[in-house]
Amino acid sequence: MEALTTGPLIRDDEIFLRMNLAERIQHILLIVSFSLLVVTGLPLMFYELRIFKSIFSFENAFAFRGLLHRAAAVLLIVDIVWHTGYTVLTRRGRDNFRELMPRGKDGRDAVGLFGYNVGLARWLYRKGVLRGFFDRHPFWKFENPPEYGRYNFIEKLEYLSVAWGSLVMILSGFFMWNVELSLRIFPLWVHDIFVIAHGYEAMLAFLAIIIWHMYNVHLNPEVFPMSKVWLNGRITGHELKTLHVLEYRRILAERREALEAADPVTAAAPHPAP
Amino acid sequence: MRSRGALLGIVLTAAAVLWAAAPAFAGSSDDDCLACHGDSGLKTDLGRSLYVDSSAFGASIHGEAGMACVDCHADLKKLEDFPHAAKLRPVDCASCHEDASAAVRESIHGRPHDGDKPIIVQCKDCHGAHDIRPAKDTLSHTSAMNIPDTCLGCHLERVQTKRGAGFAGRYKESDHYRALSQAGLSLSATCLSCHGGHSVRPVDDPRSKVSRRNIIRTCGECHTGIERDYLEGVHGKDYVKGVQDVPVCTDCHSEHDIRSPEDLDSGVYATKVAGVCARCHDNETMARQYGLRTSRLKTFSASYHGTASKFGEVKVANCSSCHGHHGIRPSSDPLSSVSPANLAATCGTCHPGAGENFSKGKVHVVSEKTENRWGYTVKIVYIVVIAGLISVFLAFIAADLFRRMRTRWKH
Repeated sequence: MEALTTGPLIRDDEIFLRMNLAERIQHILLIVSFSLLVVTGLPLMFYELRIFKSIFSFENAFAFRGLLHRAAAVLLIVDIVWHTGYTVLTRRGRDNFRELMPRGKDGRDAVGLFGYNVGLARWLYRKGVLRGFFDRHPFWKFENPPEYGRYNFIEKLEYLSVAWGSLVMILSGFFMWNVELSLRIFPLWVHDIFVIAHGYEAMLAFLAIIIWHMYNVHLNPEVFPMSKVWLNGRITGHELKTLHVLEYRRILAERREALEAADPVTAAAPHPAP
Repeated sequence: MRSRGALLGIVLTAAAVLWAAAPAFAGSSDDDCLACHGDSGLKTDLGRSLYVDSSAFGASIHGEAGMACVDCHADLKKLEDFPHAAKLRPVDCASCHEDASAAVRESIHGRPHDGDKPIIVQCKDCHGAHDIRPAKDTLSHTSAMNIPDTCLGCHLERVQTKRGAGFAGRYKESDHYRALSQAGLSLSATCLSCHGGHSVRPVDDPRSKVSRRNIIRTCGECHTGIERDYLEGVHGKDYVKGVQDVPVCTDCHSEHDIRSPEDLDSGVYATKVAGVCARCHDNETMARQYGLRTSRLKTFSASYHGTASKFGEVKVANCSSCHGHHGIRPSSDPLSSVSPANLAATCGTCHPGAGENFSKGKVHVVSEKTENRWGYTVKIVYIVVIAGLISVFLAFIAADLFRRMRTRWKH
């Protein structure tokens, strides 16, 4: 059995497609529109900062900023429409979406990763503190890092945050874009809530990307200076095994099944003779 | 004693004889004067020109009236002995122009200016000497077209007021001067229009045309409709009551370099209006004294209008877009542009189809807590969520780095 999991069914240097071309383009469109939206939007939140004043010092800068902001918003909406269509209409899209749905396991994974990284419980266990509790509830010992499927809780959180954030931003932004329409429907104080939500949601998104996403895909020593998945979409068998071991085991099981179905005798032997 | 009396007798007799003898001799005709003074090279020892341009004099109001040199230079009337004494008595315009002269004597020009070098202003300093023309004549020193240069002849550098160098000269940057010099609009305001002519007085003199007490009337001489609007507005009503801090025309528009609000350098350019109003309306002392609401600028700046304005956008609303300018009324006044009933129409000037919803909420939101409870709730929830999530992110990152460092130490 052990021979099978490390055997030739999945080689360490085998290439798996983690993001196909459509997904990569969707991600790049998201980067472009998000960056533009941040650069052209944040100055409104921090209008006192001199740097923004110097950026927007040319003639008609403010009108240009607004135009760019709305153009980027349209780009983001197009991207989201495409992604939604892709998710609904393609098999791969639907599979990904199902994999991205949060489960109870994600909460346990988050706690598990944090506990494992801190290592306090392991240390206490070794010192003999609360040994009875830890023996009864081995989860809280955080002996091993959590095992992830195709998407870990970090990636799921980011995906769902983008979905929620886009919803809030597009809705509130639409009404800010069309003030007259907004105020034909809502009283001024509701419109003011759109403005407040738009600003704070933007702050949340910006900070989440700058801190959380940038750490996980850039600064994290494991991938530093940058994970290249977003460019070539590729992940090696080794990376699959270390980062997404549940997915790795699933593929392995699939291949073994296929092999057994095709040639049960050969498949049974760990190292088939040439 | 006797000899002196005899001498006087002789002189008087001689004079009488000469006076009677010949009209050709009697006094000096203009030709006599011009015999010397018609020479353009005639100068004093100090180099000051003594030339009199006879054609300029002939075209002047006095020349046209047929007046002779000695009518003004009266002490030469009976002189026959040429050349005459170097020092003549100054011409006394008051002998004819008594009222004007009296007005000047009462004015600041009639008193020696205080300062290092007292200056006494004479009629000729403004009107010229031999080439005096009526003010209607465009060649006159005192015609509207020429008044600025005439006054600035002294006030550009030589004579400075308390407001410092160049204060008067800034008139040339004004739209009043532009209208005068470029559009050739002689009705445009010159120095004279605001400061008066002969009876010009310093600004702190209550009788001055530019004193706080009179400035509204003075500007209103031309800007009649604006004066009326102002007096009907909240500022004008307090002005009439004599409130000292209430803004008058010059407080917002400046004094000499008044420019059109469309001019980027104007103090009331769209993006600068808020700053002008805030001088009083964000001033704690004044707010306490007159019961004004503060934080007007702060709350405006935080709004989209204010933010856009800070970035130089002129199309967005500034204070005056909603509140009006000259005839600003409090929102409690049914005629006010910001009275609840008129808000839809006021907002509608920029936001077509603005309806009643525009008035259902606060514009200058000082405290969301009391003025927009739901908005406040959303804000607080966001702050808590942002602070919480970012803390969690940082904790995870710290834990991750902690484990990696620990592993490195072990190996």
